[in-house]
Amino acid sequence: METSKRNLSVCCATAIVAIAFAFPNRLPAQTTAAAPTTAGRSTAQVSVQVERVDPADLGLAPSFQLAIYESLLQELNKTKRFNQVLREGDRRASEIPNLLILKTTIVKYMPGSETRRAVTTISGATKLTVRSQLVTADGKVVLDRTVNGNVRFFGSNLRATHNLAKNIAKAIKKSPWSLPEQPS
Amino acid sequence: MNLFCVTACPRRDHFSGRGLIRIWLLLFCCCTYVLAQSAAHPVNANVPFSVRVTHLLGLENTKNNCNGILSIQDSALLFQQRGKPSAKIEIASVRDVFVGGESKQVGGLPMKFGKAAAPYGGGRVVSLFAHKKYDSLTVEYADEDGGIHGMVFQLKKGEGERVRQELVGRGVSAIVPTKGTVEVTHGNK
Repeated sequence: METSKRNLSVCCATAIVAIAFAFPNRLPAQTTAAAPTTAGRSTAQVSVQVERVDPADLGLAPSFQLAIYESLLQELNKTKRFNQVLREGDRRASEIPNLLILKTTIVKYMPGSETRRAVTTISGATKLTVRSQLVTADGKVVLDRTVNGNVRFFGSNLRATHNLAKNIAKAIKKSPWSLPEQPS
Repeated sequence: MNLFCVTACPRRDHFSGRGLIRIWLLLFCCCTYVLAQSAAHPVNANVPFSVRVTHLLGLENTKNNCNGILSIQDSALLFQQRGKPSAKIEIASVRDVFVGGESKQVGGLPMKFGKAAAPYGGGRVVSLFAHKKYDSLTVEYADEDGGIHGMVFQLKKGEGERVRQELVGRGVSAIVPTKGTVEVTHGNK
């Protein structure tokens, strides 16, 4: 009885070792977060420069414009998809290879009211819709998405900017965009 | 009745002629003086200026939605949280200052729970009155590499304009005021 138990445990151990060698990628302890490659280049080698938000004469308050810009910088850093995340006007941008520019233009803006939200629940939402474009230095559009950011129930109006930046970063992270081939 | 006419008529003559013109002139001069006083608000650049604010976002190494003191000392804009080192920005690097208005519900999370728990929609009625107007101060500045930064503060109503005037007095000059906001741009831009 004891020998059969021992044999069983030896067999199990051998099987585990064999599986570990046969499927090295499926081990749970290993990190599988290899950066997705784009046209032969890892996206982690790509840097991005975030431009300020273009309000497009829709009456977006400057505090909202800068809040979107600052939140975008934070959220893009969190994605870890870019080597560097630079601000608009940064002089180092000219020295960085594979630099993309993130342009954000307001498409729709509906100013809400926190008091109206608290009183009525269904009205007073702050809604923001923007068009986000990732553009190469020579003007080729790599990614073009329309993204929303809202505050419907709780929180201040400025929270819409945070939600919007989160959604933009999520869209960039999930989209299978690729860099155009550079002429050699 | 006749007596009334006799006593009233000379008074009417007195106020309808040159006397009235003099009074109007005096009033006009007073108004002009008062307006001139309020427009030319003198700012002493050497006197430190401070105001209680809530930092909403933007300052590096500083938590969002934290209270502190925003002060202007010499040529720097400082934000000091209690018991923490202050964040400093040179006024020369400030590119734009915007002052806007916001209305917010007061009481924070405890008030929200209280309103939600109130029966018969009583919380909604409370919400109608439990709001307060604030000024929002947005400062845009450039770092050493030229990168644009923005920070947003929340102040008591009317104090945003005071900070704006202080900054104007220390070398930041006003340009086009936009609807609902007051825009200020640094002279060295």
